[in-house]
Amino acid sequence: MPKWLFTILVFAKISVRRYFRDKIAIFFTVAFPLIFLFVFGSLNGGNNSVSFNVALINQSSSQFATSFDNQLHSNKMFKISQTIDNLTQAKDKMSKSEIDATIVLPPDFGVVKGGPNPAGQALIYYDQNSALVAQTLQSVMQGIFQNINAKYIKIKEPFSVASQSTNTRGLSKMDYTVSGLLGFSIIGLGIFGPINYFPEMKKQGVLRRLHITPLRVWQFFVSSVLSNAVIGLFSIAIMLAVARAVFNFHMVGNYFELAAFIILGILTIFGIGLAIGGWAKNENQAAPLANIIVFPMMFLSGTFFPRYAMPQWLQHVSAYLPLTPIIDGIRMIATEGKHLTDIGPQIGLTALWAVIIYAIAFRVFRWE
Amino acid sequence: MSEIIVKVQDLHKSYGDHEVVKGISFDVKKGETFGILGPNGAGKTTTLEMMETLRPIDRGSVTIDGTDVAEQPQKIKYMIGVQTQSTAFMDKVKLTELLEQQAAAYGEKTDIDQLLKDVNLSDKAGSYIENLSGGQKQRFSIAAALVHNPKVFFLDEPTTGLDPQARRRLWELVQRLQKRDITVILTTHYMEEAEVLCERVAIMDEGTIVAMDSPKNLVQQLLKRGFKKERRVEQADLEDVFIDITGKKLEN
Repeated sequence: MPKWLFTILVFAKISVRRYFRDKIAIFFTVAFPLIFLFVFGSLNGGNNSVSFNVALINQSSSQFATSFDNQLHSNKMFKISQTIDNLTQAKDKMSKSEIDATIVLPPDFGVVKGGPNPAGQALIYYDQNSALVAQTLQSVMQGIFQNINAKYIKIKEPFSVASQSTNTRGLSKMDYTVSGLLGFSIIGLGIFGPINYFPEMKKQGVLRRLHITPLRVWQFFVSSVLSNAVIGLFSIAIMLAVARAVFNFHMVGNYFELAAFIILGILTIFGIGLAIGGWAKNENQAAPLANIIVFPMMFLSGTFFPRYAMPQWLQHVSAYLPLTPIIDGIRMIATEGKHLTDIGPQIGLTALWAVIIYAIAFRVFRWE
Repeated sequence: MSEIIVKVQDLHKSYGDHEVVKGISFDVKKGETFGILGPNGAGKTTTLEMMETLRPIDRGSVTIDGTDVAEQPQKIKYMIGVQTQSTAFMDKVKLTELLEQQAAAYGEKTDIDQLLKDVNLSDKAGSYIENLSGGQKQRFSIAAALVHNPKVFFLDEPTTGLDPQARRRLWELVQRLQKRDITVILTTHYMEEAEVLCERVAIMDEGTIVAMDSPKNLVQQLLKRGFKKERRVEQADLEDVFIDITGKKLEN
């Protein structure tokens, strides 16, 4: 083994061992993200099927309307509020986001007029804040009506569309949440760790002692990245295991591809921690700078809130933050079953950031 | 006459407008123990740091075993061992692992057991550094600085903050190094330490060397100038009493 590699491996080995003896570090890298997982997991109810919280107001007395009403009630896709019976009440609930939309069957719904069959138009009322849900609801309703129409009018439509899910089950909110939380975990480990312990090691003169030896900065960096990657994969493996066991998270993709991509992500984000911690003389210098960098990334890159919910311009800006392609890539592999070859743009952007970040980290690193 | 291993010529260093080392020169012979004495702020530590490649040299030169420190710092690092003023190491790492890591920084494996034995810490091999006493930490940091068998060994105020027993144990350790023919350069502001350990000393004040000779000769020269100490020197002092009563073996 070449000497430089021996040096790196010994340093990495010892810092991994040290991590497993450090209960506080384990808490922040394993338990802390798990707490978030449980919080978000219970918010999402661990439910992976699409469902709508709606109010159903049936103003029609036709027989068709009554049977349609019953049909919706027995459909698991609809969670129909039992307490709402008028539109004013429904509007109030919608504006508070307690329900997603209101389905109104007008008085003439299902009445037989001018033809052999009953006809009518259901109305969907929705609030601005749940426009997306309302659109989905509309297509779902259209599907239901199509089935009903087919019973009355026997025609063969020349064109049709059939859809088939490539995943065994659909994307749940939890699937989004988990990839975001993995991103959070990478940030915690890669930034909040080094911005604390690097200045501390400088203050104590631990780095100075290394500076006296022939150890090169790049060797020190590589060994730190290596140990960080091992620790990161360990903590992420625990998160994934818990997400699967407790919250029905569906890992669709290949574990090795996911691990490889996560290592790239850890390398990149840890570079930010190395740059800040390696530059700062003390914690007072490191903490504010880290917060300026971390918080926008945490909120804009899709750790806690999905990016698709942001306004268009913000999506454009946040797309180029270093953490965004990492979280996107993780989600594409883990929940969409994409391969590394499919996520070229994500890998490319992450790698570009890695180059920029390490160029800065090397430049600003100080041993004391 | 043994050969010269360290050669310092006209060394200068300024921080801003303040010149802290003002053109000092000295030689250290192979196997010698050389002390740099002086009050705080005299420029001792800065001088040492320039010799150790840690601080850029403004003017002048330092060569160690024929290698110029400013020109080939990386090569120098393999030749020297440095015991820094701070005895901090990473916590939650065993002594054996710290030595393994320190040796790995030089790309080497080292005889960890022997090193720990040399500094009387064999029984602490599996301990973490934070569970050691001040004197033990000091001895351990010497072991850590010797993992690669350096030719020249620097000690910066090795006994500052140690109690008398720990200090004497450390002196014994340095004396054992002298027997192994390692060249030792140390700074101190304890005159007794310099008298016990150093074959020659340089006394620094305000960035210059004001005197340089063996401790014995320096005392002789002073006496020749007609110096008389006001009080008769006792055969023992309070420190000897303290050590006699408390016993040296207590510090472990």
